[in-house]
Amino acid sequence: MLEFLPSLNNHNLPYPDTIHPIVVHFVIAMVLFAFLCDVIGYFTRNQRLFEVSWWNMFFATISIFIAIIFGQFEAGLAEPYDASQSVLNLHTLLGWSLSAIIAAITAWRYVIRSRTSQKISIYYLAAGLFLTVLVGIQVYFGDKLVWVYGLHTVPVIEAMKEGLL
Amino acid sequence: MNPELINQLKTQLGANGLPYTIPIHPNLVHLTLGLFIIGIAFDIIGALFSLQKPIFKFLAITATRSNFFDVGWYNTLASAIITFFTVAAGFYEMMLAEPPTEVKSAWGLQAMETMLWHGVGGVFLLALIVGMAIWRGFQRYIWCKDYSQQVQLSYLLSGLFIMFLMFIHGTLGAQLATEFGVHNTADMLLRLGENPNLVLK
Repeated sequence: MLEFLPSLNNHNLPYPDTIHPIVVHFVIAMVLFAFLCDVIGYFTRNQRLFEVSWWNMFFATISIFIAIIFGQFEAGLAEPYDASQSVLNLHTLLGWSLSAIIAAITAWRYVIRSRTSQKISIYYLAAGLFLTVLVGIQVYFGDKLVWVYGLHTVPVIEAMKEGLL
Repeated sequence: MNPELINQLKTQLGANGLPYTIPIHPNLVHLTLGLFIIGIAFDIIGALFSLQKPIFKFLAITATRSNFFDVGWYNTLASAIITFFTVAAGFYEMMLAEPPTEVKSAWGLQAMETMLWHGVGGVFLLALIVGMAIWRGFQRYIWCKDYSQQVQLSYLLSGLFIMFLMFIHGTLGAQLATEFGVHNTADMLLRLGENPNLVLK
């Protein structure tokens, strides 16, 4: 079976560069921007911004599952060395949790929007803040995997193949 | 940048060549790219609204065309604002970069060429994004104010073209990170002959 799969390049990937960090652009940008719009909308009573927030959350919910699919695939090919493993575990755990949390918050938003699209409650805003903090933590873990541990970077893959790592 | 000049800051820099562990520029890039691409995508959804209408109806989601143009406008505007900081952080970190001289990227470029293209290209992209936001503002508030179709086809096509430029530009940036190992702690430790598995434990 395995010989039908494309061979891996010097990033240990079957395609040129990692895709997960590209897909997460959308989740990060949309979740953070949705929260910003909610905050500004809450204090200025601009309901247009509530619509902007809802649509960003709606598409963020779809994007996070795509991000997870690529994330799992690339984590599987990362061959994380011992020092990086605990961060990768945390990133995986929080990533899956975020998919559930984002889906739940978007569902809540859907209900709020179908009842009264003119305002959101302070509790929803608090949930948005909680989500923003979690996304921040998740980005920090992901950044550590790339920028500190260098997973899927050419020098690290080289060192692994030479048995140095 | 000249290593002796970078040495002037040596006491403040960590193993990755920065005064902090995680580079800031790639994180702001998430916002620049995410907001811009989504902004254009929402405008495209708005422009092709009649095609998607049955889908939203099926999902029991109330959607009006102007909603999507609102999202398109605000996302593009936010992208234009944040990108100034993306470029500023990028230049700061590029001035402290010390990539290896003997490595060539997958595109056959050396580190200096890649950094110059990525740096100058970044300024041009900033100009293009800001220009798009201004163009979008004119369409929203002046030219197409009274039309249900708020964006021009030429705007959407320009947006798609800029996304293509972003793809090339982003790949250059990714090569700096993952092939030259710029500001990458593990890569720089390996270059010094140290074992990240022990040092980063």
